[in-house]
Amino acid sequence: MGSGGVSGPGFNRVHGRAREYEVFARKARVEPLRLVGSVVAPDDDLAMAYARATYDEERWIEMAIVPREAMVTLWAPGEEAE
Amino acid sequence: MSLGGLILSLADNKQLLGLRYAEWATRAPSLEADIAAAAMGLDDLGHSRVLYGCLEPLGEAGHLAREADPGDYLNLPYFDEPWSSWDQFVAANAVLDTAFTVMIQACVEGNVEVLRSRLRKMLSEERYHFLHGRSWFRAGIEEGPLMEAWRQALEWFGPPDGEVVELYRRGALALGPAELRAGLEQRLETRAPDLDIDWATWDPRRRRSRPGRIDARTFDMLRGLEERRYHPSGARGQAGPGR
Repeated sequence: MGSGGVSGPGFNRVHGRAREYEVFARKARVEPLRLVGSVVAPDDDLAMAYARATYDEERWIEMAIVPREAMVTLWAPGEEAE
Repeated sequence: MSLGGLILSLADNKQLLGLRYAEWATRAPSLEADIAAAAMGLDDLGHSRVLYGCLEPLGEAGHLAREADPGDYLNLPYFDEPWSSWDQFVAANAVLDTAFTVMIQACVEGNVEVLRSRLRKMLSEERYHFLHGRSWFRAGIEEGPLMEAWRQALEWFGPPDGEVVELYRRGALALGPAELRAGLEQRLETRAPDLDIDWATWDPRRRRSRPGRIDARTFDMLRGLEERRYHPSGARGQAGPGR
């Protein structure tokens, strides 16, 4: 695990350096991926674990996560499409 | 120890690991970590049920009469008491849970059909336990719980001349103690600490050196006695919740 592993007492709260991930899933091949929720995590590994734990109640055939910051917004609520 | 005895040890440890995870479902550092603790707890409790179901085909019956002595459970010392720190959770998640997964892999790739077929699904579920444990481990934890988890993982794999070696030679397990250790190190991307293990004091049945047993409340819960406190027919003369 590289240089990680040992620190002082206590623990780092995840939100100190975390980012938001959007969670997408679908139940059948003919369906498009749709947004089912989001998780907050400091890295992709933990975000995958959190997404699976939080949204695995249904029988998805596919689940994917995308960092919120990677999404390119064309327009947002209250703005008009160009 | 027979193969059945090893699987019983794995089942008991998975059951206790699941219970200890679940105890942190409202105490973890974030809401997502709470949910992950609950989900991993459910996974491991489910895995223990599958493993217990493998015992009869393996001819193991040591789990059928364990109502009197909590020392009959084959769990590691790490699970004797509820964890008091998040670092204990992370060390168990990263090291011990992964050690159990490496053993499950050894079973799935071995030549015993009941284990090959029934345990395979656990590996895909355990992937997310591993991702969770590795990420939190990389964030850094205290040395004490980490060293303890490593020690108990290596003890649980067994001595270089024990029955796990024999099961490996027979093909029941695809990995022996040395290969299990290497597999754990490879997954965790680090070397195991240099620990001096005294195999002369090691209990081959419980796969641990330190004496001890699970706490009384957990033992009562495993036997259904805690549940009876809340059941009307068992609450006679007691002041239960809502009464």
